[in-house]
Amino acid sequence: MKNDLNIVGKRVARSDSLAKVTGEARYTSDIKLPNMLVGKVLRSPYPHARIIRIDLSQALKVPGVKAAISGFDAYGIKWGVFRYTQDHAMLPTDKVRYIGEDVAAVAAVDEETALAALSYIKVDYEPLPAVFDPIESMKDGAPQIHKEYKNNINIHIHIDVGEVDKAMENAFLVREDTFKAAGEAYAMMEPYAVVASYKNGFLDLWMPNAGPHVRAKALSNLLKMPLNKVRVRHINSGGAFGGRSEVAPADLVASLLSIKADRPVKLTHSREENATSSRQIHDIIATVKTGMKKDGTIVAKDYKVIYNGGAYSSTGPIATSIPFYVYEECYRFPNVRYNGYRVFTNKGIRGMYGCHGRAFLAGNEAQMDLMAKELGMDPAEIRLKNGLKPGEMTATKSKITSCGLKETIEAASEKTDFKKRWARTTRFKGIGMGCVAIMCGFPMGFRSGSSCYVKINDDGQVTLVSGLVDNGQGNESMLIQVASEVLGVPMEDINLICADTEVTNLDPGSYSQAAAFVGANAVKAACENARKRIVAIAAEKLGVKEADIGLKDRMAYFVKEPDKKMPISWVVREAFFRGEPIVATGSFFPNIDFEREWVSRPWGQMAGTFSFGTSVAEVVIDPETGKVTVPRFTAAHDCGHPINPMAVEGQMEGSILQAGVATVTEGNLWDEGYLLNPDLLEYKVPLACDMPDMETIIVSSHDPAGPFGAKEGGLTVRMNAYSAVACAVTNATGELFEELPLTPDRMLRLLERKKGVK
Amino acid sequence: MILPRFEYKKVQSIASAIALYKKHKGKVRYLAGGTDLVPLLKLRLATPAVVIDLKGIEELKTISRHGGWLAIGANVTLFDLKNDPAVKEYFPALYESLDATSCETLQMRGTIGGNILQDVRCLQYNKSMEWRTARGFCFKMGGKTCNVVPNAKTCFANYCSDNAPALITLSAKARLSGPGGERTIKLEKIFNGAGRRPFALEAGEILTRILIPLKKTKGAYEKLRVRDSMDYPLVGVAVSVADGKVRACVGGIGPEPRVYDLKSANDGAVNEAADKAYTDARPASNTVLSAAYRKKMVPVLLKRAVKKVMQGGK
Repeated sequence: MKNDLNIVGKRVARSDSLAKVTGEARYTSDIKLPNMLVGKVLRSPYPHARIIRIDLSQALKVPGVKAAISGFDAYGIKWGVFRYTQDHAMLPTDKVRYIGEDVAAVAAVDEETALAALSYIKVDYEPLPAVFDPIESMKDGAPQIHKEYKNNINIHIHIDVGEVDKAMENAFLVREDTFKAAGEAYAMMEPYAVVASYKNGFLDLWMPNAGPHVRAKALSNLLKMPLNKVRVRHINSGGAFGGRSEVAPADLVASLLSIKADRPVKLTHSREENATSSRQIHDIIATVKTGMKKDGTIVAKDYKVIYNGGAYSSTGPIATSIPFYVYEECYRFPNVRYNGYRVFTNKGIRGMYGCHGRAFLAGNEAQMDLMAKELGMDPAEIRLKNGLKPGEMTATKSKITSCGLKETIEAASEKTDFKKRWARTTRFKGIGMGCVAIMCGFPMGFRSGSSCYVKINDDGQVTLVSGLVDNGQGNESMLIQVASEVLGVPMEDINLICADTEVTNLDPGSYSQAAAFVGANAVKAACENARKRIVAIAAEKLGVKEADIGLKDRMAYFVKEPDKKMPISWVVREAFFRGEPIVATGSFFPNIDFEREWVSRPWGQMAGTFSFGTSVAEVVIDPETGKVTVPRFTAAHDCGHPINPMAVEGQMEGSILQAGVATVTEGNLWDEGYLLNPDLLEYKVPLACDMPDMETIIVSSHDPAGPFGAKEGGLTVRMNAYSAVACAVTNATGELFEELPLTPDRMLRLLERKKGVK
Repeated sequence: MILPRFEYKKVQSIASAIALYKKHKGKVRYLAGGTDLVPLLKLRLATPAVVIDLKGIEELKTISRHGGWLAIGANVTLFDLKNDPAVKEYFPALYESLDATSCETLQMRGTIGGNILQDVRCLQYNKSMEWRTARGFCFKMGGKTCNVVPNAKTCFANYCSDNAPALITLSAKARLSGPGGERTIKLEKIFNGAGRRPFALEAGEILTRILIPLKKTKGAYEKLRVRDSMDYPLVGVAVSVADGKVRACVGGIGPEPRVYDLKSANDGAVNEAADKAYTDARPASNTVLSAAYRKKMVPVLLKRAVKKVMQGGK
């Protein structure tokens, strides 16, 4: 089937593009419901303080105010992704734990009234000592942020495979370095917004989210409402990047306000609130020790990684693990020890990120280059030597099925003339390579699979129902494209209903890279079941064998004599006549080891498959100012067989910007608990004109289990682009970076260190 | 973030703007392009009762030559000024500083008058009311001390116009109109060195024109920033050479630009000025890059700008 595809693999315009480029697409803030109120949140001015009393009475007297709430109006339930991480009340009643934490809220007839009413809420606090640095936070005697977690250690991931110490002893070359990175901002174009509408016992919600079903479930728990009464509805999302995977404090706040006021409430974050009070990214300190044989074979890795986890658990166990896994899924580590600590501090809440773990990953890759150089090898050679191959197992026992790592290294090297240019030492110019692998999905229990329902309507058009959500990466278009291929009708004939928890079935969401591999596979299965029904009737009517029926251009036809055909709509009408309309379901459940657990049992099959990628960055360093620029960037990606190459390239280009150029510009700045750059002026998201010249190479392969051979598309580049930039800097200077981002002041220090300037 | 309430008045003449200023007893802010003022209003850093829009004053939208001067109306947008043939031909330092200002979209909005009179900036100042309330008001907000330099009873906020340093190297003058009449002063005299209120303007005075001696100069503007597409200067150094006289001006550090007249363009003179500029620079940790680094960059950029001018022959 691979070679005779009509739509899959073609560069089609995404189904959502027109509405987005014309500004017609609706986002949460665009929603206007009758009698809708505006919600505003009162936030903690303290990094750590006991709440003595919250008095809403004066705020409620402000004309135009229809509701005011605090945590005392909630149900005392704490959110956590895991049973052992339930520590986030979203609206605290005991203590505030970061500046900007939601404390109370009002809903009023307009924004001005709501803002004015906030000043009438009286909160008495007893300020407590606070801690902001994870190393300080782990010390005995540091302020205790949650009483359940000794030394503020939220999560400790301990992985120990083989005999690390012995292997290090016997290694020819051992090196240990520590790398730091500032946390990043997701900086989605759309600041967070929620509309909650409570009516007749039902709560309808719209918000940008990466998993409507898990969101509805979390809110049903927090609000003590049956799950069928909480309905998360479809709405376009202005970006997620991992930051909208979990229930947000604003969801609870808007819901409580709507329930109290008995009117719809819209709560929109300002850009600043989006930064201070929705999730941000972990700051990381990664110590990487590597042992190598004389021939460059990695014999052991020993890691200690500290994640500044902010005030609450969030996706803690996952966030503490992912950087390690995407690395072990790429390279062969016979002996490896990983100690990952996620530590509470009095900083804002943190979550997973599409570029999560840059200190760890870039540190590993840059260190590997220096060690390889010492052994007389180049970066491509050492990566090929240690890279996993199809059929191999990772250190924690995941089987790698399809694997195009080698092909991506070769393609990126060839395109950039890598080996020659890496060896040529031009002053203050460098080229570097970063590799990584990504799991397509990870264990999420019964939520790990996806299902789809499809019906063919009387004119032959199709309605698809899927739980998958699109956060801007093109998931909706991808599902439509897959259905179009299977059913032989053009994409414009297909209506997709998705991400609405009332009508769709469970889906893992779009934050574990499972959308293509799991979600699209379910759509494919459902459409294939519908196709069988169409084919059966068409074969009967055309008097040929079912195996000889093809579907294309809205027609069912005899493959040996294509003029012998009938419209699919006739087949559908015939099915209605027979009282058996063409409806079908299909589902996909990945091959995952469900005994695997992030903390207690960190081994077993992580995901159904893995995608791979290699990025090559070229840098130029200004020797006087230390300013780093990235004039050219090449990314090669094994995403299996791409469903829409143009969409994959778009993801790759976005990744080059968000991770690659960001290596030089992006990082959150703090003065203790105060976030100093909660805005897009001082948080330096690169703009279009900051982009390097880009080359994207899709190394097309065929995954045996992926839909039409497809795997995750784009995230590998997000996870290796910073490594490429860091390695290019190492190539240019012979030095390892100490801290990301590589701002000019840090870069100049690096250059001075090389010169021996104190 | 919504704007606070204020009365909006649009005027057609300088006289009516000043009359309105008097009528409202000074609880007034003048508005031109709005790229500086509107964010300040949203952040509640400016809370005028009345905003007087000067964009309707046609006579301030022109660029003219007379008596050996180029007279630039304060309402001329940065983009139009950048594209004026006289600027390109006579004042390369200004051309480069205009080109380095923000991005083209905002250059089309922002005016030269507004750009010069923009308020000083600080990471701990340009924040929302909620953020600043949590942090505690700093010296510039009416608090007791600086929030960046502990216990300092002064303000270290940075003056971030790219164009004022360039204009100063061109010996530009500022024409001002106010309740007390008209006056013309050297551009560098509009600063008073105090971050809290950085301009030495009389109450109600309007910057109406910039006057530059119309003679060919060589020049350059060197700007340090993290994001090239759009950023305020972390350090900016303009250099212009006219009739063999070398003038440099350093902006982006502290509340006023500092000007240096070099004895010549030879290495000794340049090094002397660079050393002096280094000593004079008193950066604080109020930008995204460290203070020590920014100080270090002052002589680097100064020398680089001079070198560019002398070698490039612009």
